[in-house]
Amino acid sequence: MGAFLYGVSLQWKLDIRSKTLLITCYIVPLLFFVIMGGIFTSVMPETKYTLIQSMTVFSVTMGALIGLPPSLVEIYSSDIKRVYKANGVPLYLGAALANISAYIHLFLMSFILYIAAPLAFHAELPENPAMYFTSLAVFIAVSLSIASIIGLAVKDPAKTPMFSIIVFLPSTMLSGIMFPMELLPKAFETTGKLFPASWGYKLMTESVFQFENLMPLLLVFILAITVCTILLRRIDQ
Amino acid sequence: MTEAITISNLTKSYGINVVLNGLDFCVQQGEIFALLGVNGAGKTTSLECIEGLRKYDSGNITINGVMGIQLQSASLPGHMKALEAVKLFAKWNKTHLDQTMLDALGIYEFARKQYYQLSTGQKRRLHLALALTRNPDILFLDEPTAGLDVEGRLSLHEQIRQLKAMGKTLILASHDMTEVENLCDRIAILSGGKIAFIGTVEQLGETIGRHYNITIQTDRRIQKYVSDNIGSSLLSLLLQYKEREESILDIQIDRGSLEQHFIKISKGV
Repeated sequence: MGAFLYGVSLQWKLDIRSKTLLITCYIVPLLFFVIMGGIFTSVMPETKYTLIQSMTVFSVTMGALIGLPPSLVEIYSSDIKRVYKANGVPLYLGAALANISAYIHLFLMSFILYIAAPLAFHAELPENPAMYFTSLAVFIAVSLSIASIIGLAVKDPAKTPMFSIIVFLPSTMLSGIMFPMELLPKAFETTGKLFPASWGYKLMTESVFQFENLMPLLLVFILAITVCTILLRRIDQ
Repeated sequence: MTEAITISNLTKSYGINVVLNGLDFCVQQGEIFALLGVNGAGKTTSLECIEGLRKYDSGNITINGVMGIQLQSASLPGHMKALEAVKLFAKWNKTHLDQTMLDALGIYEFARKQYYQLSTGQKRRLHLALALTRNPDILFLDEPTAGLDVEGRLSLHEQIRQLKAMGKTLILASHDMTEVENLCDRIAILSGGKIAFIGTVEQLGETIGRHYNITIQTDRRIQKYVSDNIGSSLLSLLLQYKEREESILDIQIDRGSLEQHFIKISKGV
């Protein structure tokens, strides 16, 4: 356990040293929050009721999908994995540590938004904070599991951002955080439901627990973990 | 002497390309053993099969002891500091950091540098330190001095000798014949997926035949000769020079390098 905790703290430090993760987990989401928060609340004042949730969904989706895959590609598409394997470090460790560290960063970023939104834009706090943070915890885990598939499946570091963007763009554009899903064309609305961001947003904006919003996230999570396990086994061989 | 590694009838093919064709050899405990071969001879495949990094088709590999592996092509996350890497690997392998070993390898000189900031030599030393974190009985070093300058090379040779003195078994893959000649107790030459020669460097010379290089420098020129019988050849050469009335300034005789013997064996000459 000591080795694992040391690994988590080390990965946390590595993520801070890596400018990429700082940019994708903190700088860009904060910038987006400052600009879009100002625009949303002045154009549509009613968005103050869902501002924390929409900004959080954007930040988590971006931090996970754009921030995590490069760390995994660095480990699993290079000689690092061979060094780990050759010296008795299990292959899953790199993925586990990168995920846990990214989870902490994303939770921290979400908490910053939770505190900053009411102060900066008079955003309303969620009615049920306990349920909000539980939903957030689930959504971060699901987003990271999808990001892990990209990080483990893509071999070329140059192509990683391309695959991340392919998932990131529809996730944010069709999830309902920019425009209400009901206003989208039917095909886009249906497509949006394929991405966890839309279910995460619904789950976080509800004041009463809705199992039908949690179910798709759990299914995606189980599926993603299964795919990641298969990919890790392939890499190991 | 006890055997640290026993390989018997090891085979490995990539499609129709047979790389290892019934490989047999043993490595004794406490010796420095080198695996040699031209590119494509199956050297790296053999090592990786023994190390457990590659699956083999058939045969048996018996290993007596814990292995430490320094790969030829190795890397770490760019932002990881040298000492952090050693600590991570030591913690994961449940071993204590050997300060003396780290000091001997000079890890503390660059302990706080991030991996991407390290020179080739520092990276090599770090990966050797990582291989040692398991406190191995058997150490695999794949091209340990590739890319190092003379100073780094000599320093690493000294560390390899110290590891042998500590009772560790070392298996070396190298292209540097001088290195192999200076460091190794025994060598094995791979050719066509099999062991073409196994023994000491001296035994290799005897297998090939007593082969001498003679260099004679006179007041007019420098000439080189190759001979299998040094006694009669040298006498005859000296008489020829005397007849031509050339003054001999210097004579150098050597038994031919391991490199020359290696090429002969590898090519099946």
